Amino acid sequence: MITVSKIEKISPDSTLEVCARQVIVSYFREMMSCEEGAKDGTDIRFVHDMRVASRRLSAAMDNFADCFPEKPFKKYYKKVKAITRTMGAVRDLDVLIARFQKEMVTLTGAEQADIQGFIEHLQQEREDARKPMLTLFGKLEAADFETKFLEFFVSF
Amino acid sequence: MAKAHKIIGVVPKQSYHENARIILPQKVEEVYTWEPFIWDETRHKELHNMRISIRRLRYTMDVFRAAYGFPKTSSKEVSVNYSGRFAEFFAVILDLQEILGDIHDSDVVLEALTDYADQAGRGTLAQGVAALIDRTKEIRKVDYKTFLEKWERLSAAGFKQELLSFLVS
Repeated sequence: MITVSKIEKISPDSTLEVCARQVIVSYFREMMSCEEGAKDGTDIRFVHDMRVASRRLSAAMDNFADCFPEKPFKKYYKKVKAITRTMGAVRDLDVLIARFQKEMVTLTGAEQADIQGFIEHLQQEREDARKPMLTLFGKLEAADFETKFLEFFVSF
Repeated sequence: MAKAHKIIGVVPKQSYHENARIILPQKVEEVYTWEPFIWDETRHKELHNMRISIRRLRYTMDVFRAAYGFPKTSSKEVSVNYSGRFAEFFAVILDLQEILGDIHDSDVVLEALTDYADQAGRGTLAQGVAALIDRTKEIRKVDYKTFLEKWERLSAAGFKQELLSFLVS
């Protein structure tokens, strides 16, 4: 995970608006670097990492809202929030599935069969939860969200 | 999930360093708006909201970390190890976030197990589901007790005032 101290050129004496842009762009790039892995869905770490990066990004945007023109800023902020939300549904199920898989070994044979049924139920829910996430990614790609976001925050 | 409180008083043309001292105390105050509810273990929503506020504070501290590696030029306390103290406060915040996260995880697990049992329309709970519900309730009880003990210890030590004093220093 990127930390602010590692973001190039950040200095305590720079103006907030300059630092805000650097922080937002760095977090955004980190978030988008996980997109392909999250779409693929095989390795659950990508969804986790992308969700965390999106939360860090929205927390930074909460703090820096006054550094940017309100209308376009809000538009981008809402999209970041939508990414966090749609990924949250998938991630919550990944966490539950992993937890119950871990708990399985501590249960008796009969109990394990019950929980195995529950895990399969959760896996189906996960497949359903991935659909809105993939739809959102598709819409953002069609709208050239990544390029426009970077253009706004880099050039402002 | 409660929305983040609106940050007021930010001055974009002023330094990152100066704005850290405007923003971070507001994030601390947001955390403490949930304090009146934490004494009741059944206030799941408020405990969750406190966790979210603590996470926002943590992320904001991370964003402004570099501002505390360097004391203000006007400060006479140049010998103070700012980054060391910052790391100590940060560790406490992280610890609180983690224990509240464990409590929330148990709440989510309990809800998922109960929903599943209800959907299955079983008159009596399946053995495995019942076993996990009992176990998770026990884990939550222990985690909640641990959280309250930590919180009370921090309150007795004046943690909030110390943190606020440091953040505006």
